[in-house]
Amino acid sequence: MNWRIRLTWWDKTLLAIMAIGAIFAFVRFATGIGTVANINNAYPWGWWVGYGIMTMIAIGGVGFTITALVEIFGVERYHSFVRPAVLMAFLCYASAITMLMVELGRPWMVWMVLVSWAPTSALYEVGWCAFLYLSVLALEFAQVPAEEAGWGRVFRILRAIYIPIMLLGVTLSHLHQSSLGTLMTLIPHKINVLWWSDNLPLLYLFSAMMAGPAMAILEHLAAARWLGFRPRMDLLAGLAKIEMWLVGLFLAFQMGDLFYRGAADAMFIPSWFAVSFWIEIGLGLMLPFVLLLMPEVRETRRGLATACALVIAGILLHRLNVAVIGLRVRHWETYFPSVGEVMITLAITAAAMFAFGYFARILPIHEELPPPEKKPHPAAHPAGVLRGAEGVS
Amino acid sequence: MSTSTAKPSTAKPKAMIQDNTRCIGCRACMVACKSWNERPEDHTDFFAGDGYQNPRDLNANNYTLITFNEVVNAPKPDWVFGRQLCMHCIQPACASACPTTAMFKTDLGPVVFDESRCIGCRACMQACPFIIPKYDYESFAPKIHKCTFCADRLEVGLEPACAKVCPTGAITFGDRDDMVVEAKRRIAAAPGTYIPEIYGLDEVGGTSVLHLSSVPFEQIGYITGLPKTPMPDLTHRWLRMTAPVFAFLYAVFGALNWIVRRRMRHQKSEGEHS
Repeated sequence: MNWRIRLTWWDKTLLAIMAIGAIFAFVRFATGIGTVANINNAYPWGWWVGYGIMTMIAIGGVGFTITALVEIFGVERYHSFVRPAVLMAFLCYASAITMLMVELGRPWMVWMVLVSWAPTSALYEVGWCAFLYLSVLALEFAQVPAEEAGWGRVFRILRAIYIPIMLLGVTLSHLHQSSLGTLMTLIPHKINVLWWSDNLPLLYLFSAMMAGPAMAILEHLAAARWLGFRPRMDLLAGLAKIEMWLVGLFLAFQMGDLFYRGAADAMFIPSWFAVSFWIEIGLGLMLPFVLLLMPEVRETRRGLATACALVIAGILLHRLNVAVIGLRVRHWETYFPSVGEVMITLAITAAAMFAFGYFARILPIHEELPPPEKKPHPAAHPAGVLRGAEGVS
Repeated sequence: MSTSTAKPSTAKPKAMIQDNTRCIGCRACMVACKSWNERPEDHTDFFAGDGYQNPRDLNANNYTLITFNEVVNAPKPDWVFGRQLCMHCIQPACASACPTTAMFKTDLGPVVFDESRCIGCRACMQACPFIIPKYDYESFAPKIHKCTFCADRLEVGLEPACAKVCPTGAITFGDRDDMVVEAKRRIAAAPGTYIPEIYGLDEVGGTSVLHLSSVPFEQIGYITGLPKTPMPDLTHRWLRMTAPVFAFLYAVFGALNWIVRRRMRHQKSEGEHS
């Protein structure tokens, strides 16, 4: 198989962002976190955790959402979305773990989580689940390169374990997506009443599900444009309808939770919290919900891209609101991310996008594209390998 | 001073009374703490900074802090001291949040930090309802810094360094049960001196430092309005479901997947027959 790609201007831009971020990362490792980051004693978690870990894992929810839709609920027609979804999820989780290695004070000790017993810690559960799920995603996706490279035995083993591994992945995702919310239930005294809820685990889980179809649609549109195939608008319209339901239900759940807790008044108290809340709810949930209600939006590329990008931005803002913006510790203490913090996260995101673009060009990720040229070999299977051990077509 | 010199006899949980009405703001406790814990000095500006109170907040070099609070106590303003240090909760949120048990509660009461297990996630700092653990962000191998309750001194039957040096008896050390009784006795004996409240008696389920004051605690910079139940309860009610939820979801998803695959096998074989 051919491992080489021709770098486009888009690849070169991503590589440039990665290079700038690498300089900041080098300074961070050479001189400590304090030199590049504004996180402090009052705000020990900032942009790195809010965006680099929590949002990355949330949008990595595309993996389990699309997998569950196709493999567990049996909606076969979305099958072509599974490979891109699994690859995206793998890269999102890999990004989150890379971020963790920058963000932790003692990254060389991270293995300690795996040899500890700390069942009272939400972070312990998140750590274990994320580690296992990253392995699961790697095993799920490894079928593609194994088949391409013609490693018949490896490919057969991977296919034989696919079903239990896939089920494990979907289950683990439910656990750690919600545990990230459990983590934040511990600090009711710090998080503004607009966001702190007993139900944060469910809010986190449902919003990760909401990220699934949105990411799948955005990826499909982007791939169609840059890799040059005709987008399956019929399938995208179907996914958009699912997304519409997910956004609508999440909106109802979040608002219902707010009223149930008796915190709805805080929405109307003029403050930066309320402003951030209304941006999150208005632009991240209400607007995309209304847009997705319209068939014209669900059936056009521009409409779909707008609505889904708003949903993803809304999820980013939700995570930031819960973990950073909604936090007040003491009146004199503030936090705003530094250039170094932002550049390192952008570099990690750029690396994930670059890796996706690379794999999308050397491996058969998109069924819409003709398979990459290769020599025929006996292990090659005509159908997509992620169709399960049964090899259904 | 009389009660603080008594050596602890058994391994019952210990506590300290911080009686702010007896505090004269001499900061001997801060000096003794720095000395025992070998913390370096900070540069402070007497009048350019925060006035008499130095430093402004706890940090990686200061595990305890006397706060200087101007309180309007009609008819005249009054200067009231408060103290910040780790409260050593009976059920500590920081220890419950730690994914590697680097932060843990000892039998005698101190909540202590084992740097050899720490990964530096700072979940303890985020979790603490009293905003106590601090971090040395400038360090190459950062550590969590907070009051240790002089756990090493307690082990050998000594009292904490701060309790040892306090010249006015504002810090009293002993078994927690006895300290609760003593704190209640002081309030009952001098109701005009104290407000009828023990900060730490049942805050977040009870702590090992019990503060007494002459003015409401929010006026001297204490974090008030905390729940009376242990903080770890908030996460426990979700986390205890982990194993059953895992088993349940795996079974449900497995069953659904089996049905889906069976349906597809049928469709395929029907397709072959026709």
